[in-house]
Amino acid sequence: MRRRRQRPIPPVSEQSSDAELLHAIAAGETSALRLLHHRHAGWLRARLRRRCADPDVVDAAIQDTFVAVWKDSDRYVETSADAAAWLWTIAVRRLLSTLRGPAHRWLSGPADELPDVATTPSAEELVLLGVEHGALGPALDRLSPELRRLIEATALDGLSVREAAKLLGIAEGTAKTRLMRARTRLRELLT
Amino acid sequence: MTTDWHLDPGLLEQYETGVLGPSRIMAVEAHLLACAGCRALIPADDAWLADSWSAVYDDIHAPRVGSIQRLLTRAGLPEHRFRLLTATPTLRWSWVLATAAVLMLAVAAARVGADSSVPIAQAFLVLAPILPVIAVSGAYGPPADPMHEITGTTPAAGPALVLWRAVSVIGVAVLMATVAAVLLPGPGWYAAAWLLPALLLCTGTLALATVLSLPVAAGILGGLWITGVLAAASDERAVASMFGPTAQLAYLVSAVLAAAVLILRRRRFDLGENR
Ligand SMILES: [Zn+2]
Repeated sequence: MRRRRQRPIPPVSEQSSDAELLHAIAAGETSALRLLHHRHAGWLRARLRRRCADPDVVDAAIQDTFVAVWKDSDRYVETSADAAAWLWTIAVRRLLSTLRGPAHRWLSGPADELPDVATTPSAEELVLLGVEHGALGPALDRLSPELRRLIEATALDGLSVREAAKLLGIAEGTAKTRLMRARTRLRELLT
Repeated sequence: MTTDWHLDPGLLEQYETGVLGPSRIMAVEAHLLACAGCRALIPADDAWLADSWSAVYDDIHAPRVGSIQRLLTRAGLPEHRFRLLTATPTLRWSWVLATAAVLMLAVAAARVGADSSVPIAQAFLVLAPILPVIAVSGAYGPPADPMHEITGTTPAAGPALVLWRAVSVIGVAVLMATVAAVLLPGPGWYAAAWLLPALLLCTGTLALATVLSLPVAAGILGGLWITGVLAAASDERAVASMFGPTAQLAYLVSAVLAAAVLILRRRRFDLGENR
């Protein structure tokens, strides 16, 4: 439920950090939500578009994301994870639930509830940051598409194996095996 | 982040147009998540940003306003679908366009189909439930897809969304044609009636999809229709009777029944869609 903070919040501006904006949003500042939206909607859109070809679905997912942030921003304040990663996990789950329908309770818990813990960058993700330099890039390119997509969904999109399995339309067990195979294969390619 | 590597506008453009290799896409996305500076590089589409924000603003300031939305939600249309049907101004234009297309189709069919001995009228009859759906999905446009090789393997909105849109468009078109028929005596009834098989096919398929998978449901209903048309094809009067008042009433009742099933079993629907 919405709990607005009592203590005064300093005014927000373009220079405010994401965390400051989210604190102000939790205090009911619409202007802070607007700043957050203008700062993040663009890249969220660019990234979601790579996952869904229908621009209407993408737009709806982005609107849903910021409405959800408004309704439940306290959860962010409590977990104080990285705001961009947190927004992404909400947005990608909104997209999935639109694509796959509310049967995706497993994705987002009860309706309107935000993920408790934002994705902490996984080991693979941190390695990916260096993908431009190291040998990982060519290795990933040589991975079969089905294995690569699984790495993408788990390491990059921050989905659980179960969610990734649903996204790719495969059984959870299959996803687990494939993920293991992908890791082994990457290790082989890297040595 | 500790890395010195950053995105440049050229790389970002390649990313957005989808010409990058898989590992570089992953590198760009991983970096975007970690680097606020590079996120800000993504060119902002001001008009889109304003539209998106105003939709968010409307929603948080009037979360439950729309009495139409409340009605539709109670009637079983999930909230996120309503948002999808009304989300953006372009979408509203698509909806107007689709409604106009369906109405025009109905009028054309009413003129051509009035004389069922013409071969083209027979073809119209066979396609009757499908043409409006095609018109609707056409009006909403092919999805802008600059990166087939990737999105081809990721889930798209899918046929269920097309059907929901079709129901929202054809339902209103039927209503409009009926109103027009009341106001203007003449063959207006025929236009409204012509849309009923399409409405039945859409709601029926969605309702049946609560039990079966969507393609199977669509296949069964489409097959039934075509079997019926083929069985009647030998007899001119039978063809005419498929669009006669009795048949039309049956379509309407069935469509209402299908809608009722859909409302009662709406929880199951999304399972059906999921398959
Ligand atoms: Zn950077």
